[in-house]
Amino acid sequence: MTDTILEMRHISKAFAGVQALRDVSFACQKGEVHALVGENGAGKSTLMKILAGVHQADSGEIVYKGTTYRGFKPREALDKGISVIYQELALSPYLTVAENIFLGREPRYRGGIIKTQQLRQQAAAVLKRLGVPDIPLDIPVSELTVARQQMVEIAKALSRNADLIVMDEPSAILAGHELDQLFVTIESLKQQGVTIVYISHRLDEVFRVANQVTVLKDGEVVSSQPISQLNRAELVRLMVGRSMDEIYPKSKHQHGEPALVVDGILTDHLSEKVSFTLNKGETLGIAGMVGSGRTELARAIFGADKLTAGSIQIGGKKIVPRSPRHAIRSGIALVPEDRKGQGLFTALPIRNNISISILKLLSHLGIIDRKRENAVVEQSRRSLSINMANADLEVQFLSGGNQQKVVLAKWLETRPAVIILDEPTRGVDVGAKFEIYQIMRQLNDTGVAILMISSELPEVLGMSDRILVMRDGAVAGSFEGGAATEQAIIERATSQEAVV
Amino acid sequence: MTAISMQPLRRLVMGRNTRILAVYILIGILLLIGALSSERFLSERNLFNVLRQASFLGVVTLGQMLVILTAGIDLSVGSVVKLTVLVSAVLMNGSSENTIPVMFIVMGLGLLIGFVHAFFINQLDINPFIVTLASYVILRGIALSISTSPIGKSSREVLLFYDQRLGPLSVIFVLFILLVAFLYWMLRYTTFGRYIYALGGNQEVARLSGIPIKRVRYGVFMLCSLLASLCGLLWLSRMGVGDPVIGNSLELSTITAVIIGGTSLFGGRGGVIGTIGGVLLLTILANLLVTLNVPQYYQGLIEGAVIVAAVALYKQDRA
Repeated sequence: MTDTILEMRHISKAFAGVQALRDVSFACQKGEVHALVGENGAGKSTLMKILAGVHQADSGEIVYKGTTYRGFKPREALDKGISVIYQELALSPYLTVAENIFLGREPRYRGGIIKTQQLRQQAAAVLKRLGVPDIPLDIPVSELTVARQQMVEIAKALSRNADLIVMDEPSAILAGHELDQLFVTIESLKQQGVTIVYISHRLDEVFRVANQVTVLKDGEVVSSQPISQLNRAELVRLMVGRSMDEIYPKSKHQHGEPALVVDGILTDHLSEKVSFTLNKGETLGIAGMVGSGRTELARAIFGADKLTAGSIQIGGKKIVPRSPRHAIRSGIALVPEDRKGQGLFTALPIRNNISISILKLLSHLGIIDRKRENAVVEQSRRSLSINMANADLEVQFLSGGNQQKVVLAKWLETRPAVIILDEPTRGVDVGAKFEIYQIMRQLNDTGVAILMISSELPEVLGMSDRILVMRDGAVAGSFEGGAATEQAIIERATSQEAVV
Repeated sequence: MTAISMQPLRRLVMGRNTRILAVYILIGILLLIGALSSERFLSERNLFNVLRQASFLGVVTLGQMLVILTAGIDLSVGSVVKLTVLVSAVLMNGSSENTIPVMFIVMGLGLLIGFVHAFFINQLDINPFIVTLASYVILRGIALSISTSPIGKSSREVLLFYDQRLGPLSVIFVLFILLVAFLYWMLRYTTFGRYIYALGGNQEVARLSGIPIKRVRYGVFMLCSLLASLCGLLWLSRMGVGDPVIGNSLELSTITAVIIGGTSLFGGRGGVIGTIGGVLLLTILANLLVTLNVPQYYQGLIEGAVIVAAVALYKQDRA
């Protein structure tokens, strides 16, 4: 315990009178992986933004490598070896891997001409150190998978000689073996003496990767201890402040006649025709790796991608979904995986987001009945317990969990017979997760059929009545809910040759 | 997280309102400078003229604003105005009986032009910038092929309309205010208005939300060109003849006014109140520079500086 690289002491920070952090102390030993966990709004990001110099603390100090600072400027933090990798990767999509790694710090001749050869050599060296020498240097990063883009981000940090790397929910955009690769990388960084602060919602990862864990709740540290002294249930209790015996509410297993029959549909993004039946009141889980065609299947059913073959039956009526509009009118809803890019108008008020898909019903001759609209919004707020000051707030200011509830509210208002949930709990804290599961069960109870796509196997196993596994754009297996195990699903989801 | 969740408070208190307020403060400063430096400036006569002048720019700018709110742009408005002035002057040719039919013809022409814009953007997936740039060149070419010198003649009624008053105000200004009120209402209280913001906010989300985005686009582009042709008729009323100089670089003035008025070029943010501010600011500034006898060469310089100042104010607010 002698080799402390970072100590943040008695940090407090308020935003316009609301206390985001209260007397938070946080210390990291050199070469450890320190998990920082807590619900959304607990203050994890604020604390890390103070470290990175994005925000300045109101009080407290930062001791870094033995020197005491009042706070950093963003540039200073970087220069001193502190790098933060945010969820939204900060890469320039059309520049090459090598150019991205040294962006703004390219080795140059006098007069500013870039020494291309040297740039490539240095980039190659960094990637080698990171254990991913096979990433090509000369292709634009936009052609890499998200997982590999993340590696490039880490390489960027390493190339700056970062001693402390903060990873803000790195796993949110990864799945399966990509995650394994990340953990291998983290392990190797640790061996090289790099300290890692790992922010995550996923507890199994925290247990897998961290030595030390600090739990924040409502802006205060509730616990900081070696991970070996905790088990999963205790950690959940610390984060949420209550114990959660039953994370996945029990299914009543009362399924009616078919709600959705998918009959041999095919799009440009699927490799084989897909057929299955989804019954009323049932949850069908779709497992598989990112890129296995899960999202593409959802988009096909929802009419977002053009069908090249097949049709669907919904409520006994056969249709070929031409557009999302068509699908919505037929009783299908899709809660997409990418909330910001596909689910929400982030710059519009909560009200407008919730009512947008049912405005027709709330208006007469194109004029919106504001009273009825307000009633609908209020009803949604209460039934989904959306935590908001008022409905005029732009949704971008809500936490991940509340944003997800707004998307849910928007779609539930269309009274769908079938709702497709693509990663319904991604980027959502434990408490809100639990609430979303309960909402799903309530929907099932009222006869709504749910198609749930998820990368979290416990979630798939816990919520699904039946499970389809996808691989390489086709269905690779199916299970009755009770009969599936994580192992069996993973076997079906991964083919012999590893897909990179 | 918490850091971010505090911003709405700040925003509610001062956020968007400051953006709009900034324009009106700048207008206030200009009025003050004007009042201090020339007694004619705040005279009823000058104000009457300024507001009437602003209405010309304002009518077109409202249309431009609608298009920009959907994250589009319409570079053709100046050419539409020019074409309308020439076509209506030639067709009307001084005849009173022709007045109403010609008005319908040119406004129909405006609707058609807007329809064609939206058609190319919707069906062929061509960028609005490209489509309306092509249209700018083509319509300008057609207009100038009609005549490169003043041609045709407005009817007497149209000519008289320019000086009509409603109390202390120009009828043209009243017309503008009615349009403003209508669009304000439309953007806030109709599904079409909501869809405009939604389309500009994020087209993909809009599509996945089941919004008829193609129809919304037809709507805004047709309204935009319709308002441009209305402006053309106002110019006919003012000039009495079809002058091919009318409409030059008008597209830039409208875009400038929209931006100064706080509407985002990326769509989804902004509105009528700010846009009127942008229109008034540009018009008052031009009027003031003339009143102060500032040489024309410097006028562009000063206008440019005001644009930068206004936009810099927004950036400050956003930081």
